Amino acid sequence: MRDWTEKVFSIPNGKTDHNLSLGDFQKADIRKNICVTKMLHLYLYQNGYLMRRDVFQAIADPLRRDMIALLAKESLTINQVAEKFDVSRPAVSKHLKILEECGIISITNQGRERYCAIQPKQLIPAFLWIDQYKNLWEERIDSFENYINQLKNERNEQS
Amino acid sequence: MNNLENAKSRTLTIEKELNAPVALVWEAWSQPEHIAKWWGPKGMEITVEVHDFKVGGQWRYSMQMPDGNTFITKGTYLAIETHERIVTSADFKPMTENVELHILFKAQGEKTLFTFHCVHETEEYCAQQEKMGFYNGWGSVFNNLKAFVETSS
Repeated sequence: MRDWTEKVFSIPNGKTDHNLSLGDFQKADIRKNICVTKMLHLYLYQNGYLMRRDVFQAIADPLRRDMIALLAKESLTINQVAEKFDVSRPAVSKHLKILEECGIISITNQGRERYCAIQPKQLIPAFLWIDQYKNLWEERIDSFENYINQLKNERNEQS
Repeated sequence: MNNLENAKSRTLTIEKELNAPVALVWEAWSQPEHIAKWWGPKGMEITVEVHDFKVGGQWRYSMQMPDGNTFITKGTYLAIETHERIVTSADFKPMTENVELHILFKAQGEKTLFTFHCVHETEEYCAQQEKMGFYNGWGSVFNNLKAFVETSS
């Protein structure tokens, strides 16, 4: 393990504010199901080497939005999800993996099957965003109204 | 208008009675020197980079963010009926690409009834997707979320 972790930490980054340390990797115990790959991802993400994984990235792709809508109804296996979409099985897996990394779905093994289940609470930021978006338009129209009133007053003064 | 009726479930509507005659309201909405003054959020200057006010003409506004990024909104005018109606496509990245704005003006003496519709996902986009629109999809997600929150609390 030492070899590749050293490689990771030798990436020249000029940043020192990462929260994970080499010690964390050494303490990671695969037998206790602590996923070293995930820690690596976290480290890379924290230091800006990976694209941000959040709800907005999850819903940025129309296919992923459809997958979220589908899984919001019921939990399905990866195979069942793949059957519903007219894209290749690897593409489906890739999108599901991104959704998992974004925390939108969980993928768990049950026997030989891998089940995908939605994590609805992770979608709340998107909710809030849509509300803010509505506010944005309301503010803009308010701003328009204020401007109209101002313009009208100016014109009245001139005449 | 039929389009608007069909798209009700994915439309954001804001209605206002403005205390000014329709000619003034129209002018303020459609002329770049005015738009620059009200389009941006409080205290934010915007630059009207392109403003080709005719059907098929494009518009593009840019806003300098405090963090140095430039935020761009742009679109294409789809319909213009003087003192009555402006329809335009609009792109706001990252999440609200491909929306259609319907701005309706109705003269009421010295006042103007002003209606703003923001339609999410144009007909064109829906046809292209051949699936449920984004907002329709969200409807079921949010219903499920609501059910989830209610049953788990």
